[in-house]
Amino acid sequence: MELVLALGFGALVAAGTYMTLARHTLRMVLGLSVIAIAVNMLLFVAGGIGTTTPALIASGADVAAPDSANPLPQALVLTAIVIGFALLAFALVLAYRAHLALRTVDTDAMREAEPVEEGGR
Amino acid sequence: MLTLPAIVFGALAAAVVAPWTLGRLNPRLLVLVPLAALGALIYITGEVTSADLITHQISWVGSLGVNLSFRIDAFSLLFCWLITGIGALVVFYSASYFSDNPRVKYFTFLILSFMAAMIGAVLSDDVIIFFIFWELTSVISFLLIGFDSTKPEARRAATQSLMITAGGGLALLAGLLLLAQAAGSTQFTVIVGEGARIAELPIYPFALILILAGAFTKSAQLPFQFWLANAMAAPTPASAYLHSATMVKLGIFLLIVLDPAFGSTAIWQTLLIGFGAGTMMVAAGQALRVEGFKSVLAQTTVAALGTLTLLVGLDTPVAAVATVGFFLSHALYKAALFFVAGNAMHATGISSLREMGGLYRALPLTAAAAVVASLSMAGLPPFIGFIAKELLFEAKLAGGLTALVAIALIVNSVLVALAAVVSLRPFYKGPQKPAQLRHRERISLVTPPLILAGMGALLGIIPGLASSVILVDAASAVAGQPVDTKFKLWHGLTPMLGLSVVAVASGALLAWKWRPSHAALSRVETPLLFQTERLSDGLGSLTLALARWVTGMLQHGSLRRYTLVPVAVMLAVLCFAIARNGIAVPELTFNRPYIIGLTIIIILGSGLAALTKSFLAVLIGVGLVGYALGVFFLKNGAPDLAFTQFAVETVFVVIASAIILRLPLTVGDARTKSEKVIDGTLSIAVGGAATVMMLAVLASPLDERVSDYYRLVSLAEAYGRNVVNVIIVDFRALDTLGEIGVVALAALGAFGLMRGLKIRSRKTMS
Repeated sequence: MELVLALGFGALVAAGTYMTLARHTLRMVLGLSVIAIAVNMLLFVAGGIGTTTPALIASGADVAAPDSANPLPQALVLTAIVIGFALLAFALVLAYRAHLALRTVDTDAMREAEPVEEGGR
Repeated sequence: MLTLPAIVFGALAAAVVAPWTLGRLNPRLLVLVPLAALGALIYITGEVTSADLITHQISWVGSLGVNLSFRIDAFSLLFCWLITGIGALVVFYSASYFSDNPRVKYFTFLILSFMAAMIGAVLSDDVIIFFIFWELTSVISFLLIGFDSTKPEARRAATQSLMITAGGGLALLAGLLLLAQAAGSTQFTVIVGEGARIAELPIYPFALILILAGAFTKSAQLPFQFWLANAMAAPTPASAYLHSATMVKLGIFLLIVLDPAFGSTAIWQTLLIGFGAGTMMVAAGQALRVEGFKSVLAQTTVAALGTLTLLVGLDTPVAAVATVGFFLSHALYKAALFFVAGNAMHATGISSLREMGGLYRALPLTAAAAVVASLSMAGLPPFIGFIAKELLFEAKLAGGLTALVAIALIVNSVLVALAAVVSLRPFYKGPQKPAQLRHRERISLVTPPLILAGMGALLGIIPGLASSVILVDAASAVAGQPVDTKFKLWHGLTPMLGLSVVAVASGALLAWKWRPSHAALSRVETPLLFQTERLSDGLGSLTLALARWVTGMLQHGSLRRYTLVPVAVMLAVLCFAIARNGIAVPELTFNRPYIIGLTIIIILGSGLAALTKSFLAVLIGVGLVGYALGVFFLKNGAPDLAFTQFAVETVFVVIASAIILRLPLTVGDARTKSEKVIDGTLSIAVGGAATVMMLAVLASPLDERVSDYYRLVSLAEAYGRNVVNVIIVDFRALDTLGEIGVVALAALGAFGLMRGLKIRSRKTMS
């Protein structure tokens, strides 16, 4: 399964990179969300994929089974999912606002901060 | 002696405070600041001259061996007298010179801070403290040269002087640190004491060249001499102070301080004599070519600095006496002549010597001061300049090099000629009816040059006055051994007198023929070898062009190219790691076939998101990927993750659809085809590297100690059976609080952005 998962991860990273390089604000933001998904996947897989048992303590037992799933990366990924969502939601609103203010979604046309006559190009 | 730090820091404090308090009442009152410093310096004279050297140390950064240590000997005392005395005259003069300029307080602030920095540099015994004050003089000099900041040439001259002197300052710092390391102490007194040992070390030539680079840039020696001529863009009182009497002498002062340590080494003598003589010749040639009143004076200053450098290089007692004598006489007559030039330019509004004439009727006292100071500059008796020049000839004769005597003779003839030109031409020759004058003579503007010129005459007529008070002691301090006085007007019929007569005669001839010779010389191109200014300008504009190019490359304003840089760097790092460690392959298993299905969905979703034109398809692709990952979480022992992922993915798709529907759906990717090819190639490479990375992660052994700890104590310590939840809300509760904060902030931010919209749309509707 390792090889398959790694291929899936590679596809996510490639697609996310290609999308963030786009000159369209929304594509960029959605590309970031794809990369976020890829990173979450990497974190989770890095904790080991040998088991399918959740890290729960059965009633009657005092400790979780040693072969249960690795709880630490799960906790980290859980935090990452929520934070990534907050960031992307904000970025989406920002992109919409930028479109309203500048009437464009082309990032190269957004030159308020770095006007063409000062920068290179 | 506690007086030394008191003078330095008192002057610094007064410079910062006084212009805005005392100066508000009357700018002329500020003259009290330099006068107070001068008074304190005169008060300690007896103590200084009776001892060879006085030091005082206050511990400061003891762990670095840097202390506030101060030193004073008779020569530095003499220099401080000049700094404070001429400083007082400059403050007095500028109060009147800038009487109609509201920035006079700022100007005086600069002059006073400059004075304090000069005193600090001259009195400090620690090389680090010395360097700080040295650089302070460079910075303040930059501000003074650029005082008329609306004039492009003033800005250019200011930048140039800062580049040259601060650049030299860096070399100086390196050299001083090398010396300090070799001596094992940052104190000048220790370094000089260890001089003989340091001069044997292999590091010595490097340290010396670095230090000379600092001293030569400051004192405008070849090949850096051009900045001083351009520095004449400064207001005249500043020129009188900085670029004749004080700042440029600081480099000479450093040479004099180090002379007892290294003066007897061959490399020291060769470099100082060579560069000094070269500077003298070049400056004398330039002085005959320029026509601005101040430019002529500036070039003669460069010649005088060359002379002083050469004198320090000569290792004889008479050279020490000559150094001190010339140091003093030059400061007196050059400051006076600058004041005179300032008066003539202030009154007429013209600066070219060729256009001035007949000013003696309107400015009789200025003319008198000009003549007296010029006679001292020409080295005629009975002025101090005569004594200094006789000593100079004697030192060069004693040096045994005929070439030096010849150079001295030529340069002195030029000085005689220019002394005549600057004193006679604007005042007594030319049109008898001068051009429209802006004002008549002002007593406050003629007092300073008259005092200085009078001092030159007084010390010439009664040379014993100066020598008994300080000159002999100062010369002994310079020579590093007691010297007997030779400071008197009449030496008898000596070879020096003969040389003087020749110099005066040829100088008079040159002055008589100034107009044609000047016209002829100014037509001659400067030899390419001496066009170091063009080299410096070229380097400067090259640096600027490079900076512009780099900035253009880095800050091009294209988000895509900004993103490309980290992506490329990440790819490079991954490739480097792969190249170093090879491709690690984990133990491959094949126990969960559904993962193949999920991966196919992920790959298809990614492709859909990346490649389709329609935004709805992109959104569907992203959603597919998210849900597929959720299913993967669910099936692999992470139900909490799965539920969160489903919830978040759903909300995200809803929000994204809401926004996408408000944006133009048809606008595709604006990238050109070739850009897409580049990005595609790069993305596939990054994806491939990421695949290899994940395989490497899976191949490396897993350390579960922390996870096992949570598995064991989750119920016992936190009373929770869901280990993941316990970690989030208990063991790492603070983390989770921060996370909630981030979400809340994002929500607030989004709310703010949207709220603004509503208000605006309502306004536009009504």
